[in-house]
Amino acid sequence: MTVDMLMDWFATIGDFPILSFLLAVVISGVPLFLVMALNAMVAVYVERKVSAFMMDRIGPMGQGPGLHAGKWGLLQTAADAVKLLVKEDTIPETSDKLLFKMAPFIIFIGAFLGLAAVPFSSVLQVADFNVGVFYIIAVGSIGVIGIVMAGWASNNKWSLYGAMRSAAQIISYEIPAGLSIIIPIMMAGTMNLQEMIHFQEGNVWGILPNWIIFNNPFTFIAFFIFFISAVAETNRTPFDIPEAESELVAGWMTEYSGFRWAVFFLSEYANMLVVSGLAVAGFLGGWQSPIPGMFDTGAWGLFWFMSKLIFLIFVMMWFRWTFPRLRVDQLMHVCWKVFIPIAMFNIFGVGIWKLIFG
Amino acid sequence: MSKYFANIYDTVNTLWTGMRITWRHMMNIKRDNVTLQYPEERWPRPERNIGFEHEDYNVIRSRLHVDIDDCIGCLKCERACPVDCIKIDTIKAPTRGEDIPDVKHTGETSNGTKKAMVVSRFTIDMSECCYCNLCTYPCPEECIFMVGGPNSSKHPIDYEFSEFDRTDLIYQFAKKLSPEQKDGLQNPKPEAEA
Repeated sequence: MTVDMLMDWFATIGDFPILSFLLAVVISGVPLFLVMALNAMVAVYVERKVSAFMMDRIGPMGQGPGLHAGKWGLLQTAADAVKLLVKEDTIPETSDKLLFKMAPFIIFIGAFLGLAAVPFSSVLQVADFNVGVFYIIAVGSIGVIGIVMAGWASNNKWSLYGAMRSAAQIISYEIPAGLSIIIPIMMAGTMNLQEMIHFQEGNVWGILPNWIIFNNPFTFIAFFIFFISAVAETNRTPFDIPEAESELVAGWMTEYSGFRWAVFFLSEYANMLVVSGLAVAGFLGGWQSPIPGMFDTGAWGLFWFMSKLIFLIFVMMWFRWTFPRLRVDQLMHVCWKVFIPIAMFNIFGVGIWKLIFG
Repeated sequence: MSKYFANIYDTVNTLWTGMRITWRHMMNIKRDNVTLQYPEERWPRPERNIGFEHEDYNVIRSRLHVDIDDCIGCLKCERACPVDCIKIDTIKAPTRGEDIPDVKHTGETSNGTKKAMVVSRFTIDMSECCYCNLCTYPCPEECIFMVGGPNSSKHPIDYEFSEFDRTDLIYQFAKKLSPEQKDGLQNPKPEAEA
């Protein structure tokens, strides 16, 4: 959307189609990257604090002068970032050097492209596709190529194990996630994220906002299936078997250090942002206010979207610091024997519901 | 089939229980927090002393300290030390039991013993010290002791003496003497003798 608006505006100045396209992409892409970086910085700090509080610790702290991490440890992530950037970038002697160097950026591209379609508010969206949902699901799958590449190129058995597990996991969990995100598409009758959010205006059942999650029991279940599958797709605990510190050192990122590892980290947190954004847009009313008709003008849209997004990211952290890691067979059991049958039943149920009530 | 749904119910139920527990801990962090911010906050120190009797013989053997004004330079602690971490150099004083203001040497100890030696060097390498306490027993003036405990009145307890450099753990207790001052003590001028 931003790209289109910028290009229209450039067209009024002069007729340079390629140049104006490049300019528009850069102008909307740089803030997107900043959002990613800022998100990673804030989320890492919050994650440290949330994990600490859940374990009765207090996390990074520092007060007073010297090498302290600022008030309440607020400078901790800045220090981490500096440390990562000045660290030596090691490449194993026997690795496949080209693939090894490419892998982080492929993962990064997947996360970055996904973020382009996230509707932060009714106007703040880099690209408003008519197939937005499909696009996010599609570019979300690019990441797995990077992961397998990283695992293979590292020439390390832990990395390869991690990569294979990751491939198995992400490919499996895309099925319940896809089957669940079909339900908002069925309800709204569109894949365009903005139109999908516009569909969720008003009330349902008298008091509740007309979000798709509250529309009927099937959508309610579908939201949870989608959200849990999304957690699995971002490789976060309890579905972190590709990383599995206690078994595989760090899985497919074992051999990475310094900046390349920082790119992995950035992409992980950006992926959280993308899948939460899709869940918010598809099920939780996007930038619609929870009280229909109030606080829904102007910047409130951005506020509500970010609040819902932050809440979902917090829930992901909550999951991470509560649940132990699943075994591979348990992971596959949950996906193929529980989520997929229920997701299919949901599609059937929503179809019937729409026939009767819609 | 009913087992399938019972399993799902069980899973959701137990997961929710676990999440409630972590939520409760997160909300009660002010009350449940176990971390102490070390330099600002400290655990209370154990009360028990270094002593000879059984009931007060446990121990924070924290750090050796020497009241150098009481030291007569008898080298008994140096000989007692099993790891040889105490090094003492002495110079014979020109006159027994007289102050030498030039090198800030006092003639008598607090017990009234007249000192025959000027201690020109008294170093304890605390990185080698094994805290055996053996040096404190032979001392005739009770001027070398472990700080804290029964000696709290002489020197407050101090068990936090980490340093960035190992040489900083070599404690210098003797007063600094310049080479000229040492020379003057070793080769007294004829007028002083007369």
